[in-house]
Amino acid sequence: MEVLQQLAAGFLEVFVPANFAALVVGLVLGLLVAVLPGLTLVMGVVLALPFTYTMDVTAAIILLTAMYIAGTYAGAWTSILFHVPGEPIDVPLLWDGYAMARNGDAAKALGWTLIAALVGGLAAATVMVALAQPVARIALTFSTPEYFAIIFFGLASVVSLGGSSLANALISLFAGLLIATVGVDDTYGAHRFTFGVPILSDGIDYLVVMVGAFGLGEVFLRMEQRFTSMPLQSVDKVTTRLPTLREAGAIKGTFARGTLLGIVVGLVPGAGATVASFLSYGIEAQYGARKAQMGSGIPEGIVAPQTAATSSVGGAMIPLITMGIPGSGATAIIMGAFLLHGLQPGPQVFETSSHIVYAVFASVFVGVIGMCLIGYFAARYLVRILELPEVIVSAYVVMCCILGAFAARNNITDVWLIVVFGVVGYLCERWRFPVAPMVLGVILGPLAETNFMTTMISFDNDWTVFLTRPISGSIMVLALVTLLYPLLRHLRRRTRLAAT
Amino acid sequence: MRKLVARVSPYALIGACAGFLYHAATQIDFHRRAGTIGPDVWPKLVLGLMIATCLYEIVRVVLSRGRRGGAAGVLQDMVEESEARYGGGNVYAGAKSPLLLAAGIALTALYVWIVQPLGFVLATAPYLAAFIALGGYRRWGVNAAVSLIGTLAMMFFFMKVVYVSLPIGGEPFAQVTLALMRLMGIR
Repeated sequence: MEVLQQLAAGFLEVFVPANFAALVVGLVLGLLVAVLPGLTLVMGVVLALPFTYTMDVTAAIILLTAMYIAGTYAGAWTSILFHVPGEPIDVPLLWDGYAMARNGDAAKALGWTLIAALVGGLAAATVMVALAQPVARIALTFSTPEYFAIIFFGLASVVSLGGSSLANALISLFAGLLIATVGVDDTYGAHRFTFGVPILSDGIDYLVVMVGAFGLGEVFLRMEQRFTSMPLQSVDKVTTRLPTLREAGAIKGTFARGTLLGIVVGLVPGAGATVASFLSYGIEAQYGARKAQMGSGIPEGIVAPQTAATSSVGGAMIPLITMGIPGSGATAIIMGAFLLHGLQPGPQVFETSSHIVYAVFASVFVGVIGMCLIGYFAARYLVRILELPEVIVSAYVVMCCILGAFAARNNITDVWLIVVFGVVGYLCERWRFPVAPMVLGVILGPLAETNFMTTMISFDNDWTVFLTRPISGSIMVLALVTLLYPLLRHLRRRTRLAAT
Repeated sequence: MRKLVARVSPYALIGACAGFLYHAATQIDFHRRAGTIGPDVWPKLVLGLMIATCLYEIVRVVLSRGRRGGAAGVLQDMVEESEARYGGGNVYAGAKSPLLLAAGIALTALYVWIVQPLGFVLATAPYLAAFIALGGYRRWGVNAAVSLIGTLAMMFFFMKVVYVSLPIGGEPFAQVTLALMRLMGIR
């Protein structure tokens, strides 16, 4: 009951003009970013962060969260209409969404996407509100070994999920953890890896790493490809036709599976909308009632990935808000916005700033509905942004990166650093080192080190404490299994290949 | 042999850097408190794991004679399997141009170098125009308009709305920025 009261107050807060304006701007920007193939959802949220510096904390978080939600939806339009996925999330939408459009029913395909995003988004928002306080209460009982174990699990799952090489993902993660150690150590005041450079004493801000690696690195990569894209097919008129209730009811199992999977995947640090989308499509293709027809343009192939992608947002917000642990690039930036405004996400936030938390929760509900309304009425106008030359968009992306880095501390050295990390980001992509583990390493590194050091000091340097305490031990074992799983899979596959 | 060297060199390079940093970590200066671990332990742990991973990968590549095919992330497998089955969307079509990339990086570095002495406006408008031209856009009028209007819009937004003090430049360039600021009502 108390939760509902707080949520109602949150809704009132969302409709305060400044917050509502932030929500609408966030939704439109998120939809535009998702439509543009050169811009990813994470990159869009990174670029928006500097514009929130002077905003009120609630409006800032609402804006970024709205971008995050909308970013999981609009890329579907270009997948369905032009066979161009706006985001990696939208690749599964090519298989049935585009096929349905080629069968002459593009409007219906867009309608299925809209309904899937609406159902997945609202269901996940409900679960997020219901679970947040209980999870926060559990998190309050955690001590440093448990926190370290959770962070370790998060980092392990990032490594185990992403990239074409487990070793490269590990190296990328270690690089991130190392970058986070640069500067003056909090406990001893010792200089670490500063090499006498004064600006390094303050450490390397993770924002600089994110903006450089995700933003500038991507632009450099596209520049190397001369900003040339596949020519778009012409589409006469973009309209959305919603499925009937009966049609939607016929595949309610797909809606339920996709939503549940999205929430669970969102909860796992390191996973996110892309994993949810692919996994949900895979499950539908393996176990769905019409699995044999998947790929031929059936609604299940659209609903499964889209519900999962949008519902993963609600899931991903839970560890961020309740434990202060961001599990993905987008939630890491939202956490950055919290920190920039002097608010530390975690279990205590429900006691100190519950009005902000519930305003953000309410904004997810309003955002999902708003996103679908904008999608229904304005998709035809928003997809026209694809006509804009990519090089012009990229030039402004670079400027946003530079201004974002400069505005944080008014320091030109930060701008030099983003250029450096831009090149690092490019090299990572080029040499197939995934960027996400490095960025999460930079963000979670200080938290991991603090919890590790505090545990060692509190438990007389006994490292076995991470394994002997029931909760931390279970999480550590889970993390090790997560880390070893790709290796075991690889070995099993090799053995099978050798046998045949 | 060249393929093998190409595959091993990134790991050798990263491993060597990690080795150097490990040495730097042993030189961290601090007053150790009795019975507690110091600020060097965490970086040494991370660097040790990094070196071990590099060594593992070097040995693996050498034993497999330069072939790819180590353990991949679960998502990568999932994506590759699904794309092989249903086909992926092709977004990018351009041939690679390392020269253009180098020029883009150099141009951006040049911009960062000149933005403080020239000021935001005088450095940004030419930078945007040059970047867009470098990227192959040949409608010069549109390029000039987009660069100039965009620069002024960013200046107005950041200086007037979000109160970021962008570089105004040294003399005599500062006079141009100050005149524009007066014109836009920026104090």
